[in-house]
Amino acid sequence: MKNVVRILLRFSEKIVEQPITAGVILEHGVPISIVAAHVDSHGGEILAEVPSTHVEKVVDAFREKGVIVTFPKLIEVDSEKCFNCGACVSLCPVSAITFREDFSVVFDEQKCIGSPCGLCVDACPARAIRLVEQHSSGLIQ
Amino acid sequence: MKKLVESSGVEVAYKEVDVVTTGTFGAMCSSGAIINLGHADPPIKIQRAWINDVEVCHPGAAVDLYIGATIMSETRPFEYGGGHVIEDLVDGKEVEVRATAYGTDCYPRTKLRTTITKDDLNQFYLLNFRNCYQRYVCATNSRDEIIYTYMGKLLPKFRNATFSGSGALNPLMNDPDYETIGIGTRIFLGGGQGYVIGEGTQHDPGNRFGTLMVRGDCKKMSSEFIHGAAFTKYGTTLYVGIGIPIPILNEGLAKKTAILDEEIVTDIVDYGIPRRERPKLGKVSYKELKSGAITIDDKKVRVSSLSSLKTARKIAEILKSWIENSSFYLSAPAESLPTDTVCKPMKQTEEMAFVNSVTHAAVTCTEDEEVKAVAERIINRSVNHVVVTDEQGKLRGIVTSWDITKAVAKGKRKLVDIIIRKVVTTKPDESLEEASRKMAQHQISALPVIDQDRKVLGIITSEDIAKLLGR
Repeated sequence: MKNVVRILLRFSEKIVEQPITAGVILEHGVPISIVAAHVDSHGGEILAEVPSTHVEKVVDAFREKGVIVTFPKLIEVDSEKCFNCGACVSLCPVSAITFREDFSVVFDEQKCIGSPCGLCVDACPARAIRLVEQHSSGLIQ
Repeated sequence: MKKLVESSGVEVAYKEVDVVTTGTFGAMCSSGAIINLGHADPPIKIQRAWINDVEVCHPGAAVDLYIGATIMSETRPFEYGGGHVIEDLVDGKEVEVRATAYGTDCYPRTKLRTTITKDDLNQFYLLNFRNCYQRYVCATNSRDEIIYTYMGKLLPKFRNATFSGSGALNPLMNDPDYETIGIGTRIFLGGGQGYVIGEGTQHDPGNRFGTLMVRGDCKKMSSEFIHGAAFTKYGTTLYVGIGIPIPILNEGLAKKTAILDEEIVTDIVDYGIPRRERPKLGKVSYKELKSGAITIDDKKVRVSSLSSLKTARKIAEILKSWIENSSFYLSAPAESLPTDTVCKPMKQTEEMAFVNSVTHAAVTCTEDEEVKAVAERIINRSVNHVVVTDEQGKLRGIVTSWDITKAVAKGKRKLVDIIIRKVVTTKPDESLEEASRKMAQHQISALPVIDQDRKVLGIITSEDIAKLLGR
C-alpha cells in the first residue's frame, strides 16, 4: 500500500481565486502533491495526494477554508462485463490499466486520476467502465 | 509447437505433434445470424422487422430474418445493436420481435409483436461472411483531435495506437497456404462447433490478409465467446471467438505452425486521414505490438489490442481439450480456399471532390501586427478570415472579421490579444465532405489548409463549397 491518501478538493466560484492549497501547505508544513486539476473562474477541482499520517489535519484545514473535501472513488470497473480486450490500456496516461502476463486487463485504483481524465470510459466496447460521479451521494466517506 | 521446433527441430516436431490448435477473439463486424421464427397464425410475410428495436433484415420468404451485427438499435443507437441481440439470444434471454407487412392473399397479416428466446426458433445459425483476418494493421492518429474508429479511440498526435488479431496464435497465420483450412473444415465457433464455408469477403491471400466465411449453430454457443460490443461514435459489432485445428500433415506444416509473433509484421496506419489508402507510417511486428509500446517518428507510443489475447489462448486450449477427449473431430476440407483472389477497390462513377480542388491562397498576417492593419486587409481583400503565420509560413492562429469588429468595439489595438489559437484545419487530400462536416461540427465557416509541418497552403471557406455544389 502506498502511504498517501487521495482527496478531491472542490472550490466554489467565491473562493477559487484565493491561494488556498498553498496556504494549507505553508501553514501545516505538509507536502501535498497535485495529481490532476481543473480550475477556471467558475470554480475548480483538484485531485491531490496527502501523506496518510496527516490526512485528518489537511482535510480539516481545507474544510475550514470553505473547500469541499471528499475521498473519491474515481472509476468503477464491472469485471463481469469486461472481456479483456484491452481497448482501454493504451489510452491510460498514468498506466492505471495494464495487462497481466496472461493478458487479463487489470485496473489499479491507486493510480487512476478519475474525472479530469476519463479517457477510457467511452472507449470500452463492453461498456464496463463507469466514472463515479463526485457528488456527495456517490462518495465513500 | 513453437518451442518444440526451436529446441528439437522441424523433423522431431513433425513426428511428435499431430495437431496445433489456434484461436482468436475479436470484433468481427461482418457477422450476423440467420433465424427462422416459424409461422404465425394468421401467417405473415414479414416486410420489415425489429428485435429489441434493432432492425433486422428480411432476406427470405416469410419468417426468415438476418440479424446483422452492426445494425444499431433505433432507441439506443451506438449502445445496443445486432451483435447484442445475438448475444442476448445465445444467453437464453427473451427478446421482443416486432414486424410489419403489406399483406397478401396467402399471408394476410400486416402486424406482429411477440417475445421469443432461442428455444422458440427453428434455426438460429451464425452466418458470418468475413471473419478471422489473417492479420490486421496497427492504427494511430495524426490529427490534433481524438477520433473514434472501428479500431477504437485514437488520441491526437500519435499519443496511442491499437491493433487487432492474435498474431502467432491466429488460425490462418498458422496455415498461410491454406493446406488444411478450406470449405468444410470443422472449427471452434463461439463456444460451439461450426464450419468454414468458404473464403470471406475481401479475402486477399497475396497480401496475407486472408479471411473466412463461417457458419455455426448459435443454440450451442456461449456468450463468453459471442459478445455484442459498442464502439463510441462508430457503432455496434460482434466479438467472435474462432479456433481452428491444424493437422500436422507434413514437415512443412510443422515449420509453418512454429511461426512466432516477431515474424508477423504489419503496417502502422494513420487513421487520421479518412481515405481508402491511409498513409503508412512504418512496420511493426506482433511481438512489438504485444509488448505495449511501439516507436513512431522516434517517439515511444503506447499500444494495446482490441481483441482479447487472453480469450484467444483460452479458445486454443479448449479446442485442444476437445480433441484430446474426442468431443471434436478434425475434418478434411471438401475444397481449398482460393490463393489467387485479390481485393479490388470500388468502381465509382461519380468523382469525389477533395479540399485541394477549392483551396485558394489565404490572406495572412503575423502576430505582431496591429488590429487596424488587419482590418484594412480584410476590407481590401474582401475576406472574412485572416490566417496568422510565422516567418516560415507555419500556422499560428486565425482571426475573423467578427474578432476584429469586437476588438475595435472594445478598443483593443494589438492583434496578439485576439488571435484564436485553437484552429480547426484541413489537408489537401481530405474529402470536401469531411471538411464540411468539420465546419458544421465546430460552427465555423473556413478552414486553413495545412501540410504535415503545419505550413499554410491556403484556405477553404463554406462559400467555396456552396459554389462547387451549385455548379
